[in-house]
Amino acid sequence: MDGVHDLGGKEGFGRIDRAHEDDPYHGEHDARAYGLSVSLRAERPNPIDWFRHVRELIDPVDYLTRPYFDSWLQTSVAMAIDNGVLELAEVTGHKAPGPAPADVKALTREDVREMVFFPPNFERKTDVKAAFAVGGSVRTAAQGHSGHTRLPAYARNAVGVIHAHHGAHPLPDAEARGEDIAQHLYTVAFRAADLFPEVTNDDVIYLDLWESYLAAA
Amino acid sequence: MPSFDPKKITDIHRHLHSHLPPEPALRVKAIESLLVEKGLVDPEAVDAWIEAYTEEIGPKRGAQVVARAWLDADFKALLLSDAAAAVTELGVQGQATGHLQAVENTDGVHNLVVCTLCSCYPFGILGMAPAWYKAAEYRARAVRDPRGVLAEFDVALGDDVAVKVWDSTAELRYMVLPQRPAGTDGWDQEALARLVTRNAMIGTDRDLSKGIA
Repeated sequence: MDGVHDLGGKEGFGRIDRAHEDDPYHGEHDARAYGLSVSLRAERPNPIDWFRHVRELIDPVDYLTRPYFDSWLQTSVAMAIDNGVLELAEVTGHKAPGPAPADVKALTREDVREMVFFPPNFERKTDVKAAFAVGGSVRTAAQGHSGHTRLPAYARNAVGVIHAHHGAHPLPDAEARGEDIAQHLYTVAFRAADLFPEVTNDDVIYLDLWESYLAAA
Repeated sequence: MPSFDPKKITDIHRHLHSHLPPEPALRVKAIESLLVEKGLVDPEAVDAWIEAYTEEIGPKRGAQVVARAWLDADFKALLLSDAAAAVTELGVQGQATGHLQAVENTDGVHNLVVCTLCSCYPFGILGMAPAWYKAAEYRARAVRDPRGVLAEFDVALGDDVAVKVWDSTAELRYMVLPQRPAGTDGWDQEALARLVTRNAMIGTDRDLSKGIA
């Protein structure tokens, strides 16, 4: 979607603020917001790209101005309301909190330890042959779409070279619609000068892109 | 089940914006009270997440990976070909390292990592991302003006050094393997690891010799 989250290459942003760069959290409420967000997220099937899409759908002004983990927590709460473990009226104070649905079991400390130390593997099997090979030229799609996607606007309609092939991974655009499609994933190298008009050097930008974002060039 | 309906989500966000306290600390407190009272969240689980990234998981894990790669050519080869396996071999695997990629700085190449669409980051080896990594300024500028961004981090690159920017748009995560500084011959892994900064593994730091003095 053409949202404010798609920040790559947008102009008008100023200097980078390095304040408190070594603090893992930015105060107690930021830490709580993080812990609550990731504790709540595991309640129902909540694919990562649905989380990303729900976060992208936060009001644009809020998205750009609220603390980072505050936006995670709002995302997790919105997902919980959407999937029915929480009622909007309970959050807005119009209704006293009722019990959680019987099938919902809160994460335990042990569940968290497992999630912290054992990363999931996203690679999927597919019988479909990869359309592109390392070294091949590809052109990215000229347009995006209203749903979730991982082709940033700055890299649309651009010619790049396949740098690596990573097998098949779930297509985020489908996952955020509740569909499961495994599709070949590539790292594609673009000359920065082909993406941004003022660039005159030989710098390179690499993006990880799914096969349906690409056509042979 | 999720609705997968963006319009419904937009409405929910609007209600949350209107009805929750505008002050972040109060908003978090109100939500925590509700989630705990309903039994949707166990406060012990919340503490476990926070503690993991305060007490156990941070850039020291990534620094061990870098130092080991500087000392052990076989490990370096594994790191550059299958970084997920390499960090697992060292026992420092964790969140978002399942498809880790390591990219190597050389005299002629400087690597920089960003996530322009959200804030993807290899938590398991670098800990929580610094605030600037998640901020709009870095996400917007790192792909378009990487040399300007690097100058703000006091990294000055000559025209003979190519910049490679890695925008983390999938479940792959990137870490930079910085160059081992001169004057560290004979150093052991612990001593070398102390030179490795978190920013060097993101790419906003380059010359690690400053830590030698």
